[in-house]
Amino acid sequence: MYVYLYDDFLRQKKHDTTLKAIETRLTDFGIAGKIIRLQQFTNAAAVIEEELRRGAKTIVIVGNDATFGHVLSSAATIQTLFGFLPIGEENSIADVLGIPRGVEACEVLSRRRKVKLDAGWVNNRYFISQLHIPPHNIHVQYDERFTVSSKNGLIELVVCNLQPFVWKDKKRGEFVVHPQDGKLEAFLRPIEKRGILRAKYEEPSIFPFEEMTVWSDTPFKMEADGRTSKEVKVTIRLAKSRVEMIVGKERQF
Amino acid sequence: MFQKSGDSYEFQNNDTHDDVETVVGPSVHVEGDFASEGNIVVKGTVSGSVKTSRQLTVVEGAKILANVKAGHAIVAGHIKGNVKVAERLELTESAQILGDITCSVLAVAPGALIYGKVTMKGIDGHEPKKRRSAKAKKEDVAVSEMQEEAVPVQA
Repeated sequence: MYVYLYDDFLRQKKHDTTLKAIETRLTDFGIAGKIIRLQQFTNAAAVIEEELRRGAKTIVIVGNDATFGHVLSSAATIQTLFGFLPIGEENSIADVLGIPRGVEACEVLSRRRKVKLDAGWVNNRYFISQLHIPPHNIHVQYDERFTVSSKNGLIELVVCNLQPFVWKDKKRGEFVVHPQDGKLEAFLRPIEKRGILRAKYEEPSIFPFEEMTVWSDTPFKMEADGRTSKEVKVTIRLAKSRVEMIVGKERQF
Repeated sequence: MFQKSGDSYEFQNNDTHDDVETVVGPSVHVEGDFASEGNIVVKGTVSGSVKTSRQLTVVEGAKILANVKAGHAIVAGHIKGNVKVAERLELTESAQILGDITCSVLAVAPGALIYGKVTMKGIDGHEPKKRRSAKAKKEDVAVSEMQEEAVPVQA
């Protein structure tokens, strides 16, 4: 039995046509199921556990990168099969998973090509897409072996799991992070110059890692899968093969 | 070693990130045992030790104050420490190495500076002698003593 978790933004009229087409196609494939609409403060893990108790076998997330991160960051502990139907803008994770946007995603879902994905573990919770620490005077230690610091002081840190890190450089394009390479990837960008409107960043340093500790003398802001918190010390780890997911043939790993 | 003119040495700048797995940025300082299973590009400063089984690229202006071990290496920056490369080591015009070098193939561009011993494998009968540990020497002595003791007495 399939259960579909719809994001709240799908109530907007502009998505009606796509949703109707998707629901028709799912019925054609014989994989239509119960639809649950997620609200801003819905505990996705509790909803999924309840549905699994009622006999659900596959949980399908319907929405964008934010929906994907919101659901899986709390539900990564649950052992079940997940699917994803990307709708609307900001769907970079779908590209990594090889899932086309809109109605075509139903075909990928019906084929049930299963892969186990890695997740990130930060201070007792999971993150699926990306972790971001805005520029701050942080110290970083990798795998308890070496430390990284910058001459300029302030460093921005992005740890990527599924969501690609976009470095806006026309010559080099964007980095594509492979979710199943057995490592998380950290992108460190020291601030080169502070302008009036925006800071100028240096080109990023890239470090693949399995465990990383970030600390600072003053509290720093940390955003993981849309959840923001203030921390003084965080340990980021790789949780291997944590989430079982239906992916497309065109996946980037 | 210098078969071609200096102009023919080209620094293969590996700025494309398809193959690169670890990059140390220009203002970044790394301290400790810096090891990677993939390629390493150093644009900043590294102190401690550097180890990779694949390619190490040290760009111009970068500094490594450490012993280095790599599969292949292209050096355009400064290295203060011993460099051990399994296969090819390429030094460009701006390279400076203060330490001993061990490699299989060495390409040095005119202008590169080396202060240290260069050891390369491949010459028959001139393989570098391996240092033997004191424990191994003791074992050898013990074995010879035992052999002496075990000499059969002739009737």
